[in-house]
Amino acid sequence: MNVRDLPIVRTIYESGADDRVFDGLLLAGPFVVVLIAGLGRSFVTELLAVAYVGVFLGYVLYRGIRG
Amino acid sequence: MNGTTATVGRDVGRILEALGGLMIVSIVVSLVWREWFGAVAFGASALVPLAVGYGLHRRFADADSPSRLHGMVVAATGWLLVGVFGSLPFLLVAWGVHLGLPTTIEGTPTLAAFRDPLNAVFESTSGFTGTGLTMTDNEEVLPRSLQWWRTFIEWIGGVGVIVLTTAILARPGSGSLTLYESEARSEKIHPSIVSTVRTIWWIFLLFTFVSILVLWLVGMPMWDAINHAMTALATGGFSVTDNSIATYDSAAIDAALIPIMLLGSIAFPVHYLILQGDLRNFYTDLQTRWVFIYMSAGSALLWAFLYVGPYDSPLRAVRYGVFQFVSAATCTGFQTAVDATNVALGAWPAQAQLLVAFGMFVGGAAGSTVGGIKIIRGLTLIKGIRYHVADVFYPDSAVRRLNINGRRLTETEANREFVEATIIAVLWTTFLVVGTVLLLVILPTEKFSLANAVFEVASAQGNVGLSSGITGPDSLPTVGKVAFLGHMWIGRLEIIPILVALRTLLNRGGMYP
Repeated sequence: MNVRDLPIVRTIYESGADDRVFDGLLLAGPFVVVLIAGLGRSFVTELLAVAYVGVFLGYVLYRGIRG
Repeated sequence: MNGTTATVGRDVGRILEALGGLMIVSIVVSLVWREWFGAVAFGASALVPLAVGYGLHRRFADADSPSRLHGMVVAATGWLLVGVFGSLPFLLVAWGVHLGLPTTIEGTPTLAAFRDPLNAVFESTSGFTGTGLTMTDNEEVLPRSLQWWRTFIEWIGGVGVIVLTTAILARPGSGSLTLYESEARSEKIHPSIVSTVRTIWWIFLLFTFVSILVLWLVGMPMWDAINHAMTALATGGFSVTDNSIATYDSAAIDAALIPIMLLGSIAFPVHYLILQGDLRNFYTDLQTRWVFIYMSAGSALLWAFLYVGPYDSPLRAVRYGVFQFVSAATCTGFQTAVDATNVALGAWPAQAQLLVAFGMFVGGAAGSTVGGIKIIRGLTLIKGIRYHVADVFYPDSAVRRLNINGRRLTETEANREFVEATIIAVLWTTFLVVGTVLLLVILPTEKFSLANAVFEVASAQGNVGLSSGITGPDSLPTVGKVAFLGHMWIGRLEIIPILVALRTLLNRGGMYP
């Protein structure tokens, strides 16, 4: 069974911008928020948040420049 | 059974079922915070809309698909009932604590205000309509369950309860487009309306996670970041702190919130195209371009008013001027200018207050989460007036077109759009004037000025939530609270559906010829 076949995952893949990176960010979002909430503020969690926001912004720019 | 009643009953029933689902989902938050009584309150509250909604849905399951009239009546009735039923968690928690039921939730005067059903309905309606005016004195002392409920209903209401219902419960071809359009939306991302609303939620969720992490990175605690990201993106403005964003007194947090509020004021179809890689939409789309032009111009003017007024430092005037104009014009309603840290909005010079009120009147882009008459209508009015004035200089035989957002409209189309924008603007202004006069009559004249009253009514009707100090459980008389409920309701649905629903009601009651 493919991950895409799971009920919530399938809805997200079918609803979005038809892009694997954005879908991945959306699926990872709640886990990242819960993880940071659980672990509190530290260098590692800040790095994680920076990475998430950085990937989002960087990818929007990348698609814009490429497209 | 009358066809209209059946169709409206069936679709309102679906909306109430969705509302019950929101309450059930919120139980998780109460459990996480170990507020067991909050979980019970959400569960008990959910039973009411679920039972009523299920009953209506089942009773009228075979009703016809909604027509345009039905859609408007469904929107008006649905939003009214959502405000009423959405008040149940506030009422149950407040009364449960007051009656000494076993709970760890602390009784406070702020919570006690919700024992008054009118205050609870006000808070719920303010939340769902994305207004943000509040009946709480100190949001910080509210139980987490109610802090969450306020945030959650603003987040849902920003996109729309009908959009939510359509995404979850509607089936293609069941009149979803009619309902979608009755909730002050018309833009389509995909040919199918169900696909469109699902994509809207997809975008909204993704932006929410990004916003939460941005706010956390600039220094907000995680719980605050979750709540403020949701209410900023929904351009709602409820806060979990006593002094809204002024509590943090942080320029970094102010600066981080501005782009989040702006995101909420840009139309979802534009977001979709930008995520697809078409960044040109930031300036090729008329509304998006004007969002930036209008926010910049308004912020600069407000800065000037504040610099020669209450603030002696140009940097402080920039910080508060830009944030408050963007907060007002995006219809968010976060406040950084409050008594505790600087000069409160209600004490700003009249010209500054009226400029902010103008920002609330216009709002942001149609197809986003904002209130007001929307930028596209403002531009249509300006272009339409220019078009009609210039008409005198052309011969009768001239064939003229009006260009709006890349569309070349014929004279008939141009007139239709101009008339529609004019009707909304005139009705909006009329209700603003009526509400202002009412406030001036019921409020003590020595305490509040005309500018304060205009500001507060524009805030309620524009679904903004900034306050000049009038709104509060004790400061706003009962008549004012009822009037503001009406302002928030008509503001969210852009007036016409409410008037259609009232006419339908009077017609059925034999009171309308």
